[in-house]
Amino acid sequence: MKTFLQRPVHIMAFAVGLLSVVPAALAQDVTLKMWTLDNPGYPEFIAQAAEAFKKTHPDVTIEHQTFPGDAYKTSLPVALVGSDAPDVFFNWSGDAAKRLVRDGLALGITDAAMAKGGFGTELGAGLLDAFRYDGKLYGAAADAVSKYVFYNKDYFATNKIALPKTMAELAGVCKAVRAIDPDTVPMPLGNKTRWKAIHWMTMLNERVMGIDGTAADYDLARPADALFTDPGYAQAFDELLKLQDAGCFEEAPNATEYTVADAMFATQASPMEFCGTWCTAGLDAAGFTNYGFFRLPLVEGGKGDAGANFLVPEGFQVSSKTQHAKEAVEWISFLVSPEQGAKFAELTKFLPSNPKMIDSVPNATPQFREIVADMGTFTRGVNVLDVLLEASVADAYLNATVEVLNRTVTPAEAVAQIRQAALAAQAKLPAK
Amino acid sequence: MTSRYRLVSIGLHLVMTVWTLFVLAPLCLMFVAAFKSQADIFTRPLGLPKTLTFAAFERAWGIGIGGFLFNSLVVTALSVTLIVVVSALAAYVLARASSRRMQALYLLIVAGFAVPVQSVLVPLYQFVSAAGLLNSQIAIVIPYAAYGIPFTTMLFYAFFLEFPRELEEAARLDGCSRFQVFWRIVLPLSGPVVASAAIFQAVFNWNEFILALMLLTETRVRTLPVGIYGLIGQYSADWPALMAGLAIATLPLLVVFVAAQRHFVRSMSGLGK
Amino acid sequence: MTDVTQQEPRSPRGRRDVLSGAMLLPALVLVGLFILAPAAYAIVGSFFEFTITSRNWVFVGFGNYARAAGDPVFWTALRNNAFLIVGSAITQVGLGTILAAILDRGVRRGNAIYRTIIFMPVVVSSIAVAFVWILILDPNVGPLNAIVKSLGFRPPKLGWLGDPQISLWMLLVIAAWQNVGFQMILVLAGLQSIPKELYEAAALDGARGFRAFRYITLPGIRNVLIVGTLITVVGGLKVFDLVFVTTGGGPANATQVLGTYSYLQAFRLGNMGYANAMSVVLLAIAVLFGWLQLRLSRKA
Repeated sequence: MKTFLQRPVHIMAFAVGLLSVVPAALAQDVTLKMWTLDNPGYPEFIAQAAEAFKKTHPDVTIEHQTFPGDAYKTSLPVALVGSDAPDVFFNWSGDAAKRLVRDGLALGITDAAMAKGGFGTELGAGLLDAFRYDGKLYGAAADAVSKYVFYNKDYFATNKIALPKTMAELAGVCKAVRAIDPDTVPMPLGNKTRWKAIHWMTMLNERVMGIDGTAADYDLARPADALFTDPGYAQAFDELLKLQDAGCFEEAPNATEYTVADAMFATQASPMEFCGTWCTAGLDAAGFTNYGFFRLPLVEGGKGDAGANFLVPEGFQVSSKTQHAKEAVEWISFLVSPEQGAKFAELTKFLPSNPKMIDSVPNATPQFREIVADMGTFTRGVNVLDVLLEASVADAYLNATVEVLNRTVTPAEAVAQIRQAALAAQAKLPAK
Repeated sequence: MTSRYRLVSIGLHLVMTVWTLFVLAPLCLMFVAAFKSQADIFTRPLGLPKTLTFAAFERAWGIGIGGFLFNSLVVTALSVTLIVVVSALAAYVLARASSRRMQALYLLIVAGFAVPVQSVLVPLYQFVSAAGLLNSQIAIVIPYAAYGIPFTTMLFYAFFLEFPRELEEAARLDGCSRFQVFWRIVLPLSGPVVASAAIFQAVFNWNEFILALMLLTETRVRTLPVGIYGLIGQYSADWPALMAGLAIATLPLLVVFVAAQRHFVRSMSGLGK
Repeated sequence: MTDVTQQEPRSPRGRRDVLSGAMLLPALVLVGLFILAPAAYAIVGSFFEFTITSRNWVFVGFGNYARAAGDPVFWTALRNNAFLIVGSAITQVGLGTILAAILDRGVRRGNAIYRTIIFMPVVVSSIAVAFVWILILDPNVGPLNAIVKSLGFRPPKLGWLGDPQISLWMLLVIAAWQNVGFQMILVLAGLQSIPKELYEAAALDGARGFRAFRYITLPGIRNVLIVGTLITVVGGLKVFDLVFVTTGGGPANATQVLGTYSYLQAFRLGNMGYANAMSVVLLAIAVLFGWLQLRLSRKA
């Protein structure tokens, strides 16, 4: 009861406190606040890296905070404008990073990156491009994810199924699986959160039109009257529908969680899944070892390039509000060094942007090594639509894909919806 | 007559039983799934677990469900206390005043009930962030308190309007100040309304999600809903651990409720005043 | 209402006002700072175009409201809110009242057990509720599909949460599962506060059954029903978590409600001004309901 009288006082004191910004602590020691997703292994990776970083930078402390994916996309931009912004943060390469650059929230770090020991001297040009805008570097790619069709080797061997070379053959595999047991889902999709099917469309667009055929649409750089008018977009949807007609996917794919789809393959209920490189961790955890993988086959008569595959770089950026830009760049350079790249692979099971020491990774599965080797042979990386496209166009694309799968719109109507969103977004672009 | 009465009675029991089973089934599913393997959940949805293992509970605990639970308890207790005290004070003053100015103030506070929290997320975030209060228990307790005040003030206001004045006036004649009257006479006699307001706000704040998602970004300060939400990763999810986490999160409150349910109905009567 | 100030000459008026002010202040400060000020910010923001991260606000007048009027998803969201409000009021208040009435007068044995179990979901976090129901409603591995199939029926082709015609009803079922217990206890408390003598007296006058219900029970729980309906209506208006976690507003925006759609516009698509405009619409509707409630309970 005594505290009762004090409480209103506290509240008022608090209210007054709200009006004044708490000044940042002044100290010799540098604390870098870092935000990342809470993917498995990330906390451990950052913790050991921070420890190792102390050897060369005894005065730098890393304060690491993690978020679930959905919360991250919301919290990051809000925090970056606030007074409590992280110094260093994870981001996807693509529209999200581009917007931060445009709004002046991500720091241009070309000079520091190109200095001796900077990440600019370590990473390949292709990966540096992931965070390059208008010729300046705004971040360092830490890893890249790709996608393959994973398959159950035992199932394919027992039933004498050959690996498909074209999309038509892939549909044939689905039919063969259904012929063996109509209740087996050949390659579950799990599109409830919408990104599984957009990954398909990302690759199908490439397989039909090629990277160069779509780039101008994706950038909204094509003249308005030609924007998203390539018949290839509708054809790519048709390719997806052909697979659905062949019985490849589960019933109600738009109501199925991706975790359910992943579990169906991992528990060997389904013989295939078009899955990200991150899926191997789940397969290993489920005790499933005898799986193989192949790149999504080409579309016959399409302009796709067999050497091109899904490649989404993710990495670290520096806030433009940071007081410690020099240390921040040194820190992210350290994170993408060969040694830390190997640690990254070991702890997160993701493929590091710097794979020079990948052979030193203990407990790496054969598939993990094969994937690293294969990713080294990509001629082009295909960035994913929902990250690459302007946000409203991406949202239209996600919804159109859902409706195509539900058969509530035709491919042509879906492309028309996307084109409409693209036109609206293009009209809003600042005139150059 | 008696047989007809029995038939009706059986019918009523049937209605209650059906709804009770409907309520129980998902809860049972949650507890059972926590003991299954990921493969079992997906391949034998209606089956019982093959072995009784607490592995999923260990994983969920390892992610920090215990901490989330503790945070939720602290945040709920603090915010509910704050709501009840602040609202009662304000409602008492307002219920004893008749000037237009005071009525306007009452309407101003009550209007807050209509503001959905997600519509003010950004200004709220910037405000809390500017005050340097992100990721602290207080960052969430204060807004929770603010959002609980309008409804609770409404409740108390209605209650105090009906409160017998004679008691207060007697105390006044003895020289008590207005605050003393409130503290010594009115509040001790407001048991039901305090209890029902507290229960209602506790349930609400215990479940609150979106503010906590925005304002509590560090794992160590997260409350249960956000902590549970975080169990779904960017690309993968451990369903047994998720279900075990939900079970751990749910069980303590269920136990408290079952233990206290005797007093529960009576304490809710305040809401209808 | 009487003004107590005038009846009480003893303590000086000025001091009393200061004390009253001090007692009011915490509520005013909290509500003002955390609700009204941000709401005002949202109203002002609804006349501009800006993103979370941009520093230049472009004044667009009523542009954002015009945009809402021409946006089919906005109308879908509004319709879905209305559906959930009406549906929840009927299912939750209705069922809650029926169950409470049975508990109050119909059944004696097992009363505490029914009451306890039915209230249980209220204390389960709605995020937890959503995840459990996602599992139940999964079209491939969910128990509901298994049960429906074993009874010889065909489950919906697009899934319980994937077919817009069905998913809204599912949201209603989930909401009812969670909230009927609360309404039941609320009404039960109201029923039990009606003095039993009233019924006895009425019975002597020949009023039993429906007449007793009409003239004693209903007036007795009128306020409880109003409060219960208000809580449900405002809940239906502000609904967010349930939709956000179960359907995410999909398939293709079919289950968006104003809460989730303005969140999408603000935080995913970066249209803060437009999101603010929708919030203001939501706010206006909520204020209207609040005013109605005040009117109704004043009359009581």
